[in-house]
Amino acid sequence: MSVFKELYDYRQMILSLVKKDLRGRYKGSVLGFLWTFINPLFQLIIYTIVFSTILKSDIDKYYLFLFVALIPWIFFSSALTGGASSVLAQQSMVTKIYFPREVLPISYVTSSFVNMIYCFIIVFIIVFISGTKINFTAILFLPVVMIIEYFLALGIALVSSSVTVYFRDCEHILGIVSMGWMYLTPIMYSVEIVPDEYRNLFYFNPMTSIITAYRDILYYSKIPDMETLTNAVILAVLFMTAGMFVFGKLKKHFAEEL
Amino acid sequence: MNVIKVKDVHKKFKVFFDKGQSFKERILFKNRNRYEDRWVLRGINLEVEKGEAVGLIGHNGCGKSTLLKLLSRIMYPDSGSIEIKGRVSSLIELGAGFHPDMSGRENIYTNAAIFGLTKKEIDRRLKRIIAFSELEEFIDNPVRTYSSGMYMRLAFSVAINVDADILLIDEILAVGDTNFQAKCFDKLRELKASGVTIIIVTHDTSTVESFCNKAIWINDGRVLSYGSSANVVDEYLDFMNNKKYDDMFIQEEKMAEILQEENEYKNEEQSEAVPENEETEEENTLSTKEEEENKIDYNSNRFGLKYIEIVKAEIFNKNHVKTNVIKAGEPIEINIHYKVNKRLDEYVFGMGFYTLDNVCIIGTNTQLDRLVIPHSKTNGIVKFKAYNLPFISGKYILQVAVVDQNGTPMDFYRDYCHFDVISPERNIGIISLEHKWEID
Repeated sequence: MSVFKELYDYRQMILSLVKKDLRGRYKGSVLGFLWTFINPLFQLIIYTIVFSTILKSDIDKYYLFLFVALIPWIFFSSALTGGASSVLAQQSMVTKIYFPREVLPISYVTSSFVNMIYCFIIVFIIVFISGTKINFTAILFLPVVMIIEYFLALGIALVSSSVTVYFRDCEHILGIVSMGWMYLTPIMYSVEIVPDEYRNLFYFNPMTSIITAYRDILYYSKIPDMETLTNAVILAVLFMTAGMFVFGKLKKHFAEEL
Repeated sequence: MNVIKVKDVHKKFKVFFDKGQSFKERILFKNRNRYEDRWVLRGINLEVEKGEAVGLIGHNGCGKSTLLKLLSRIMYPDSGSIEIKGRVSSLIELGAGFHPDMSGRENIYTNAAIFGLTKKEIDRRLKRIIAFSELEEFIDNPVRTYSSGMYMRLAFSVAINVDADILLIDEILAVGDTNFQAKCFDKLRELKASGVTIIIVTHDTSTVESFCNKAIWINDGRVLSYGSSANVVDEYLDFMNNKKYDDMFIQEEKMAEILQEENEYKNEEQSEAVPENEETEEENTLSTKEEEENKIDYNSNRFGLKYIEIVKAEIFNKNHVKTNVIKAGEPIEINIHYKVNKRLDEYVFGMGFYTLDNVCIIGTNTQLDRLVIPHSKTNGIVKFKAYNLPFISGKYILQVAVVDQNGTPMDFYRDYCHFDVISPERNIGIISLEHKWEID
């Protein structure tokens, strides 16, 4: 418990690291902050071209179907791969001063999370353009889903960042894992087309429930199933607990390893 | 009330011979992963009360900085426990986390945040921090435009104004100019008086004595002595003196070996180029004594008519071991080896000790001491013995000379060699004096 109290005391540090990261991310580039939007937009265009003209998918408004899942996925995968090097990147601080080490992955994930929220501006614009009816009760569930995803991503970043300190290959391995994970999550397809015998396995993937919930809210304009949500919450709590435990064990020797 | 309790703390480091960091390297070069454990701390026990100022002293590599890192929780002990009550501010790496492109003001916020302060708390202290750093004019300039002194001043001001209960400090004397240093010490005294516990790691024992009420002497990962700072510092200095003496002694032996090797090389080279010298020597023997006297170059390091020549001079310590390191207060013996080229009626041998800036501490000769040395043999040894050498620590010059009874130099070495004196005395000047103070 004392870890959480301490982290609360260090909230200002988290805040200033997030600010520094958001401000510094595209510093020096011509388009600057716009890159936050351009990146996912181009991914959307590419996938849409591939899946609506080449690999024809019969899903209605495929671009929207894809986009409401893609933005949350980009956040998750950046927490997974970028989060891994979050402790390593600040080694000068870790070896020199004390602060609760959890601050580093937390601020990385938080800044990616803030980025995702910016991107949701575009998501809403596209939802509006597509003429999909907006269900306001369903929209109320959106922050809930986002928070569940935040803790899930944080749990994973805690594990990946602490393991990477001891085992540097982890960073690169996670690049591949992230790609595989993306195709095993119903982002470009619907979970219904997964053969029955594998479908239950798919629900062990925490991102399946989360993507399904996003899509329910923004694409199907309906309140997500309680079953989907509980599944997501259970997995997020599980990952978060494991993350805190592993990080707590490994953080004690960070200063010597770096 | 104890605010710091350290119980039987052990800490080891793995020293890798060649560490593979990636998976491939670890698998492929398994034997590269060999390492040995080096125990830096071997059972430290320590209790510090609230409001105490404690100095950690010990020679390089004794583990005092590691202990400080454990106290600041940058590292964790392998066994044992550390209990700390209250907010800790560490001045170990000042300015860690400073961002060069951000202004001084912004850096105050980020840096103070690293110490666990909230925005409100920082707002409240901002003025105090800026005033203390004396950087009012520059506070909105980016930190990269600061001089290193300004940088340290800003970092120190933040660290010292976070209202910590415990301050951990590593070598603070590197901060700023003398005025700022004095200001830092005043501030530290003020904090100490207000009940802040302070732990300082430093090599400067006078800081420990003047500022700390207690001192801990750590040697090879163990606490050798813990108590009032004056006593501990005395013990420590005494130990360091002996160690310095031993180290210099070993160093000297090594250097002698190296010199000998070098000389052998030189001799080989010279033996090929010998014949030319002989002619000039013949010329010399033709001239009269007066003419030669006029030719003496009194400004060179070695001068004289060489009728009698100093072959070598050697310094011996009390154990009759040849050395260039002498402990103050112990007897010293100087042996002057000479060789007679041209017989004289009487010889006068002299010696002198000089400081490196050529101040004569003492100079004497056999004539001044009322000795008459007539010619007896063509070579021999003259010994100068002193019962104790009352110099303070430092390097000194040995001067040796032979003159005739009128003072005409025969062989005069202004600077024959340098030698070190190691003294436990802490007074300043050149010599030490047995003394005591009596206060009415």
